[in-house]
Amino acid sequence: MILPSDANGRSLAVKLSGVTKRFGQHTAVDDLSLAVPAGSVYGFIGPNGSGKTTTLRMILHIFHPDRGEIEVLGERSTRAANDRIGYLPEERGLYKKMTVRRVLAYYASLKGMKSRDSQAAIVHWLAKLGLEKWADQKIEALSKGMAQKIQFVSAVIARPELLILDEPFSGLDPVNLEVLRAAILEQRQSGRTVIFSTHDMAMAEQMCDFVFMIYKGRKVLDGTLAAIQSSYGEDTVRLRVDGGVEALRGIEGVQSVRDLGQSQEVRCTGDPQDLLKRLAARTRLHLFEVARPSLHDIFIRIAAPASEEVQHG
Amino acid sequence: MVKIWRIAVTEFVNATRSKAFLLGILALPVLIGLSIALQYFGQKNKDVRDRRFAVVDRTSALFPVIASKAAERNETSIMRGDDDGRREQTAPKFIPELFDEGPAGSAATELVLADRVRRKEITGYFLIATNALSPEAAGEGALAWSTEAHSYSELPDWLEQTVNEEIRRLRFADAGVDQALVHKLMGNVPVKRLGLSNVDAATGDVVKAKTTNRFATFALPGGCLFLLYLMVMGSAPALLNTVLEEKMQKISEVLLSSATPFQLMMGKVLGATLVSLTLSGLYLGTVAALMWRMGVLDLVPPSLVLWFVFFQLVSLLMFGSIFAAIGASCSEIRDAQNLMFPVMLLVMLPFFVFMPIMQSPNSPFATGMSLFPPATPMLMMLRIAIPPGPPWWEIALGVGLTTLFTLACVWAGAKIFRIGILAQGQAPTLGKLVRWVLSK
Repeated sequence: MILPSDANGRSLAVKLSGVTKRFGQHTAVDDLSLAVPAGSVYGFIGPNGSGKTTTLRMILHIFHPDRGEIEVLGERSTRAANDRIGYLPEERGLYKKMTVRRVLAYYASLKGMKSRDSQAAIVHWLAKLGLEKWADQKIEALSKGMAQKIQFVSAVIARPELLILDEPFSGLDPVNLEVLRAAILEQRQSGRTVIFSTHDMAMAEQMCDFVFMIYKGRKVLDGTLAAIQSSYGEDTVRLRVDGGVEALRGIEGVQSVRDLGQSQEVRCTGDPQDLLKRLAARTRLHLFEVARPSLHDIFIRIAAPASEEVQHG
Repeated sequence: MVKIWRIAVTEFVNATRSKAFLLGILALPVLIGLSIALQYFGQKNKDVRDRRFAVVDRTSALFPVIASKAAERNETSIMRGDDDGRREQTAPKFIPELFDEGPAGSAATELVLADRVRRKEITGYFLIATNALSPEAAGEGALAWSTEAHSYSELPDWLEQTVNEEIRRLRFADAGVDQALVHKLMGNVPVKRLGLSNVDAATGDVVKAKTTNRFATFALPGGCLFLLYLMVMGSAPALLNTVLEEKMQKISEVLLSSATPFQLMMGKVLGATLVSLTLSGLYLGTVAALMWRMGVLDLVPPSLVLWFVFFQLVSLLMFGSIFAAIGASCSEIRDAQNLMFPVMLLVMLPFFVFMPIMQSPNSPFATGMSLFPPATPMLMMLRIAIPPGPPWWEIALGVGLTTLFTLACVWAGAKIFRIGILAQGQAPTLGKLVRWVLSK
């Protein structure tokens, strides 16, 4: 199957053109266009209820758009590519009474994998994630972290070309989180396209080649992290001062302060050098760093309750 | 089709590996066995304590007979001997006592005896009015039994029969009529129930009609209906729970990333059908083996088994699709129960009407009911099982209508399933389900 390509000649694993999805009177996704390059890690961010999961379900053709066109792995508006997509839903769905081996074999068979191949893949993946002892245990005997890893295996076992992961890290302890992160990056290294949604901005910054943010059903950010950050300019100052956040109160040029406890992040208007002078006159500085806004900061700026304006990236 | 089959096989394996399936197989024989065992246990442990009672005989003619018949009963009919010559009492002894009213009168007599009943000295008392022997006394309360234990009927039944026999004997004697002769003259002539005579095609001889077999006429059709009903009730409503559970556990969403909603629904319905066919195969096989041992297997025409399998398939596809759709459309079992009530009525409908249909299988009522598509599988099965069966055109029409109705159920069920399986929140109303069916 020939993949579509963008203006730069990059092959696209997923292409959405003017897609709209409504549920009754509510518009969940509004005129969304998106191009996910093949072999990339594409992060979907956005507040709860903004349309992330609906978009992912439309890519999987679980939902059909009311308007627009969706092309996935070269297949236009059909489910033909679904056997080449691995999916990890936001809420885990495993048969509690089935053994780990049977669940994985079943999910692999639904993707068209032959039994002999799936058995070998099950052994490989369980050993890789340290779960080989649990192969013949029922799902209900597993801890939450183990069950989540099994759900991940169910998504990758049939060697999909496109991996869609909806909140893959939610509820995981740091150890399991690292295991899963390494496994996802390994998928990218082996040439697969990974789309994942997350509320963990630090994780999105570290892992994603591209970040897409949806807010109230509309695209508000889309591009590489560097491009997104540069569009916001260097208006952020990280600093540590005697007196903490109290010392910053009432200083001219400070638009907002984010108190991180040991340090503060200030969004300033005007020249940061002027701010430095004013601060030095008021208190003792231990850290003053002019930086681009973090993804977290950008997210807050767009989606904070006070913010009603829709910003386009 | 491959995915439908894979889902069906997984559903089948999951179901047949569960304890519930094993219990399901054993449920019917265990229930029958348990009921026989309980009846036997009840008989063995019957309360055989003596039943004392008072008799107020204002005719002065009936008590001696009551006393002698009770003594005879206590010595013979309630005693059962075993091989070792031991005698076992199988029912309570009846111990009558004549109550002497004296000059106190009726009201005082009844109060005294009522007190004795309350003190548990006697079970009850039997009042025989002075006019009890008169042929005009019938229906005037000339015989009365008073007790606290109204549910215990063995003693009043025995008294009624014994005293009436004696009253009749006395009336015949009084009228100078030989009772034995009257009895002989009044005897019934039984009607022998036969099939139809035939001509042997090979020899040309007339083959005499055979006596109607009660098993083939009543037990076989009734058994077919009961088993079909059991198979539908045991499998189709369970689909609602399975689908709802998978929806709530978000398993459906994972499956929908690999299969279409139609494939998922059909896989589940087919899986439940396979489970049901396995169960009925086990039951039918066991019954066939028993009938073969009893030498009555030839009473079951092979075509009946084929009709059974066909109607079972149709029923499960029809009701399975409906129940799966209801399960998919709800988010809570409570909402599903409200919606399943009218469907359960449809499933049970044949059970409400099968008696008049068995008595008159070719009546307009039977024809009409068996052509009502949701009831056709069970009621047409019943009519086919009762010899000689309905006319061929009725069977063909019934099969055609119910097949079309089943296809409509699968189509509508799939539309509801497609929208409902990922819908959350408010319980769907019937109107909403109709809108889902009619949506593009």
